[in-house]
Amino acid sequence: MTDDSTPELRPLLFAHAQDADLTKIDAYERAGGYASLRKALTSDREELLEQFLASGLRGRGGAGFPMGRKASFLPKPDQTTKPIYLAVNADESEPGTFKDREIMFRLPHALIEGVLIASYAIGAEIAFIYLRGEYLREYEIVRDALDQARARGLVGANVLGSGYSVDIVLHRGAGAYICGEETGLLESLEGKRGQPRSKPPFPAISGLYAAPTLINNVETLATLPAIIAMGGEEYAAIGTESSTGTRVFSLSGNVARGGNYELELGTTLRTLIYDIGGGIPNGRRLKAVIPGGSSVPVLDASEIDTTLDFDEMAKAGSMLGSGAVIVIDDRACMVQLGLRVAQFYQHESCGKCTPCREGTRWMVQLLEKLEVGEASQGELDLLLDVCDRILGKCLCPLGDAAAMPIASYVAKFRDEYQRHIEEGGCPFGGESSLEGVMAPVAQHHRDQRSAIEVPA
Amino acid sequence: MSGVDLVTVTIDERELRVPKGSGMVEAALAAGIEIPVFCYEPRLGPPVGACRMCLCEVEGIPKPQAACTLTAQDGMVLRTAATSALAKDGQEAVLEFILLNHPLDCPDCDKGGECPLQDLTFRYGPGSTRMHFSKRTFDKPIPISPLIALDRERCILCYRCTRFSEGVSEDGQLVALERGADSFIATFEDEPYRAHFSGNVVELCPVGALTSTAYRFKARPWEIQNVPTVCGQCPVGCNTWISTREGKVVRILSRNHPEVDEGWICDKGRFAYGHLDAEDRISEPLRRIRRHGFEPVTFAEAAQETARALRAAGSSVAVAFSGTETVEEAEAMARIAREALGSDRAILPDDPHPALDAWRAPLSAIRNAEVCLVLGDHPVIERAPAVDLWLRSARRAGAEIITVGPTGSVQTLPGSAPAVAAELASGSVPEELREASRRLRKATRVALVWSEDDPTGGRPIAALASALRLGDGSGVYWIPSTPNGRGVAAAWHAAGAGRETTPPPPEAELGALIVSGDRAAADPVVLALAERADFVLTSAMFMSQVAGWSHILWPGSAYLERAGTTVNLEGRPQRQHPAVGGPEFHELALLAAIGAHLGLAVDAWPSFESSDEHAPLPARGKAVPVPVTPTPMPAGSEEGLALVTYESLFSGLSVERTPTLAFQLTEAEVELARADALAGGISTGDTVVVSSNGSATELRARINQRLKTGVVRIPADHAHGLGQRVEVRKP
Amino acid sequence: MSDLYDEIRDVAAQYPVRRSAVLPALRLAQDHYGWLPPQAFRDVAEALELTPAYCQSVASFYDMFHLEPVGRCLIEVCTNISCALVGAQAVLEQFENELGITAGQTTADGEFTLRTVECAGGCGWGTVVAIDHRYREHVKADDVGGILSELRGAEPVGVGRGPGVSEDGAVGDGAA
Ligand SMILES: Cc1cc2nc3c(=O)[nH]c(=O)nc-3n(C[C@H](O)[C@H](O)[C@H](O)COP(=O)(O)O)c2cc1C
Ligand code: SF4
Ligand code: FES
Repeated sequence: MTDDSTPELRPLLFAHAQDADLTKIDAYERAGGYASLRKALTSDREELLEQFLASGLRGRGGAGFPMGRKASFLPKPDQTTKPIYLAVNADESEPGTFKDREIMFRLPHALIEGVLIASYAIGAEIAFIYLRGEYLREYEIVRDALDQARARGLVGANVLGSGYSVDIVLHRGAGAYICGEETGLLESLEGKRGQPRSKPPFPAISGLYAAPTLINNVETLATLPAIIAMGGEEYAAIGTESSTGTRVFSLSGNVARGGNYELELGTTLRTLIYDIGGGIPNGRRLKAVIPGGSSVPVLDASEIDTTLDFDEMAKAGSMLGSGAVIVIDDRACMVQLGLRVAQFYQHESCGKCTPCREGTRWMVQLLEKLEVGEASQGELDLLLDVCDRILGKCLCPLGDAAAMPIASYVAKFRDEYQRHIEEGGCPFGGESSLEGVMAPVAQHHRDQRSAIEVPA
Repeated sequence: MSGVDLVTVTIDERELRVPKGSGMVEAALAAGIEIPVFCYEPRLGPPVGACRMCLCEVEGIPKPQAACTLTAQDGMVLRTAATSALAKDGQEAVLEFILLNHPLDCPDCDKGGECPLQDLTFRYGPGSTRMHFSKRTFDKPIPISPLIALDRERCILCYRCTRFSEGVSEDGQLVALERGADSFIATFEDEPYRAHFSGNVVELCPVGALTSTAYRFKARPWEIQNVPTVCGQCPVGCNTWISTREGKVVRILSRNHPEVDEGWICDKGRFAYGHLDAEDRISEPLRRIRRHGFEPVTFAEAAQETARALRAAGSSVAVAFSGTETVEEAEAMARIAREALGSDRAILPDDPHPALDAWRAPLSAIRNAEVCLVLGDHPVIERAPAVDLWLRSARRAGAEIITVGPTGSVQTLPGSAPAVAAELASGSVPEELREASRRLRKATRVALVWSEDDPTGGRPIAALASALRLGDGSGVYWIPSTPNGRGVAAAWHAAGAGRETTPPPPEAELGALIVSGDRAAADPVVLALAERADFVLTSAMFMSQVAGWSHILWPGSAYLERAGTTVNLEGRPQRQHPAVGGPEFHELALLAAIGAHLGLAVDAWPSFESSDEHAPLPARGKAVPVPVTPTPMPAGSEEGLALVTYESLFSGLSVERTPTLAFQLTEAEVELARADALAGGISTGDTVVVSSNGSATELRARINQRLKTGVVRIPADHAHGLGQRVEVRKP
Repeated sequence: MSDLYDEIRDVAAQYPVRRSAVLPALRLAQDHYGWLPPQAFRDVAEALELTPAYCQSVASFYDMFHLEPVGRCLIEVCTNISCALVGAQAVLEQFENELGITAGQTTADGEFTLRTVECAGGCGWGTVVAIDHRYREHVKADDVGGILSELRGAEPVGVGRGPGVSEDGAVGDGAA
């Protein structure tokens, strides 16, 4: 037990955030901000890429791809006639995730500095920050921070007299989870419906406007100043071998102190939930944990000694995903949870590929029937088969993100699903914490009636 | 085959050598292996991998892959559902998902019998459904235009139609609305899909979601005959299939000639067959009885009377052509006039400069060009719609498209094309053309498009081509004003044994006038001649003032009713075959009979067999240097705005007689440049008065951001009585 | 009208390709009209040289664009799982009761539109309620009455606190 161990907070990104208002550029610079950028601008590009690689930094957006490797896939500025772009994924929409929001809210300059470092390293001409549309306050903060940085010559032509010029364009989304998927993001940034593209070609070769594009998450980029400051190798010494550094975990659900916590990777879920998060409130019992956002398979209470580490989480059959830890206590009906999660993916499916578009809708229909106790045993099997028929067959990972968790709920909490069938209704009898939760209805669906006449 | 890198791929255990980078769906097909697809259609651009129907196993990759997005790489091992459980599972899953919300209403679906979804379900589909919830429902077929009905329940959201609209015709009218399972295909609000190529989406739809209103419930695929022919509506000559049932045309489909049309046809070519059955068609040979109108005559009488009149007229005979005749008809008339009667008088609607043949190239070569230069005031899309598609396709492939004209990328006053061509040819160009001139001289693959009426038959563009020393990779595309203007001119010249052509004298008496076709019959110049001629023979489908003046009125045939050769704008002779009967005796039969009376042997039927082969493009002519003729640039003026007019594709007899096309007719609209509109306080949608020379007309204003400031544009049908300079103001 | 045109052209100038400005342009048009009536699509289309159909197609893909009129004040309750686990449904129902409408509707006086939204990104501080996109966090059913009287009494825009910032303005539970 970890009753008497101290909470293992490891503020690196957030190092000075408790003491000062780092949204002000002076405070940020006083705390050592933009020093990494100055350092980077005097290094050569290859050297920076080496540092990224050495740090072992893996993407914080969800897929966990090594940042340095991705950056090295781009052609060098002298190897292409096209402009190079950086696209910052600030679309944070994975249920349970709110860390990028806090980074932008408190550390806009760390993000800007990281963006500038990465832009310089790859030779980008313009960096676009694709900011989730709902994040209005954060938009204002980042916009103001950008203005401050611009006024100091940090952004724009000839950054700090280095001869390198880059512009940062703040682009707001408009409410679509799929625009967090990297190619959906690019489509959206091009002014289209945010439907993912088939890969290859990968964005590193043909991304925004068919030009080489690096796409990274807010947290990934906001970590770069720390890496440059301390050196890649030193950064890699933090965390575990496969999961270096720190991560900002978003803790939510039935936990006493929800919030964002920056921890060294390799910390256990138990530490996060109990020591840091204060455990399960109201004397309830822990039932399940979703360790990486709603897209990942669930863990049950017996699995919370799993460490927050990419490989360990994979071994446990789940994923670290976006770092969103959702705690579920024993009042939750897992069929209702499944239904609500499926409704989310149905609502967010872009509609481009068949298995996801049709499959998520079917899943919702089956789960609704299960929840009200009208489903047969065959329909529970069918639900699993539908998940299986979606899995691995879609154009982008959203389809998998819908199928995997649902299949895991059934696998881990089969008895609850079974009881809905056998008892002809929800065993919680209306007492579940998720009872009756309403999902967004189609926002503006209109069945068009046509006024067009056809002459005989 | 030099330069093509061959690689070895294995599909279903069969080793194949295919060009590196070629599509795996095609590679499989070449080996006789079918990979089922829905969304895949290479003509729509890069594959999108949306429907997932084509899932296959690729060795070394754990998840099934969309074969349509794969290209051949050396050593690639692909397995289709025939040999891979993974692929089979994927294919079955996708087909089940596709059918989930499909109404399965094949018995009353027009697509039945030629439906890929029906076929694939028949071959691989589940025998029963596991979906017992209510399906997606929508209002039953709604017209998205008077031409096209949409049955949203049948739609499988493959996005072929919207990709066509966005990425091929680039009209941006047909789109997907909403997201995810709620998505559906629609036009803006309740506005019809109004674009030049809308009908292609009906052919692209792999299920029965988009259907032609005209064909709806008309026939089953096994009840129709399909006749291969060539469209006679414009100088492109797209290759088509005409479906007929019980002697009536029920639909027109593309017959994909990859060099000419790539399988797209415009709405005029596809839908304007309604005029064949128009009630006001001249249906039998007529003779005019003074003041009392017409009475029927027999074929023999008509031939005999005409021959007698022609013989009497001798060399005082003139022929007015329409450019819609077949080459054989034009040749027969030319020989009667020139050989038998010794007259060289003709009105030719088009007469291309002979040097142009040296730069003959297939239309498909436009796509490979580095630079395309389009000169002229006539919008290409209105005159030769397919050329517009080739130009767009070239731009998407990376070509630079320079358009010079009132709405061009280089903006000029109306009537500037010959002067611009001369400037570019001489190399001394004003500032705004400097860049274009530089690019043209640098590029090795150039496409020059001439969309302008000029009496020299495109001499300025020939001089430009000559000056640029265009080589093999380049082409010159001179767009005639009529579908077979090129073939008619060639036939006329061939019959003259080198003699000059003289236009009929405007004042002198004329012994006889042959008015060939409705277009000539509508020409005021021809009317003036007819009024003075001792004898007029008119062959036309419909009544007109000229027809009313005629002594013998012959029922004209439509291009869908006859056999013959037409020469398209490329200079490619193509064969038309009759799909339906039409008048009992065709023009050629009459001309043969007249010829016989005049002692001239003319075949009553063209001497070729029916075939559905694609016609090749004849070799280039020999290059003849064409010197530049200096031409002055039209001068601007302080007063008023310069007017440019154009003839819309959706005009003319066939469109007017096809009620479903009425919505495509041009609106009574005047296009204004943004600055001119702002200056006059005019917004899009306002009613304005356009006036000049004392005549005025009320039109709806529309701001066209691409129009040159100082110029207004009005469709010819709405510009009657207006001069070259106009005033536009709010009433 | 022409102002909107100029504003859109200005925004578009930031991008290498004009079409990229579709979302900001639609947002400007929505600010202008309050929602996106057909004319808004015509306006955006004209300014960006696109078609109205295209603009509508894009708009309908995104949840933040209103293709139907909305109330003067937009109340959005997050009902995704983190908020749901801590009582979002009760909050929603309280809004429904007090406003006399169900989620997705607008009050008869045109004042309020209430709707549910997917994860708003404040999960650790649920329930999140966004009022004209300004977030209120830790909202309980009991708070609803107060929020509504505040909105009825004053300007509709709540000030919005930062993520995890508590009532007294102190930096909240997030120890980050
Ligand atoms: C459906 C879906 C939604 C996603 N949403 C986000 C997101 O909101 N933010 C994000 O950073 N990455 C998101 N991702 C991951 C991105 O595709 C991409 O991997 C990431 O932005 C790369 O940045 P990173 O390497 O720095 O993590 C999403 C992926 C998928 C499939
Ligand atoms: S998996 Fe879903 S979200 Fe991804 S492309 Fe397919 S339909 Fe769109
Ligand atoms: S045909 Fe390959 S995904 Fe549609």
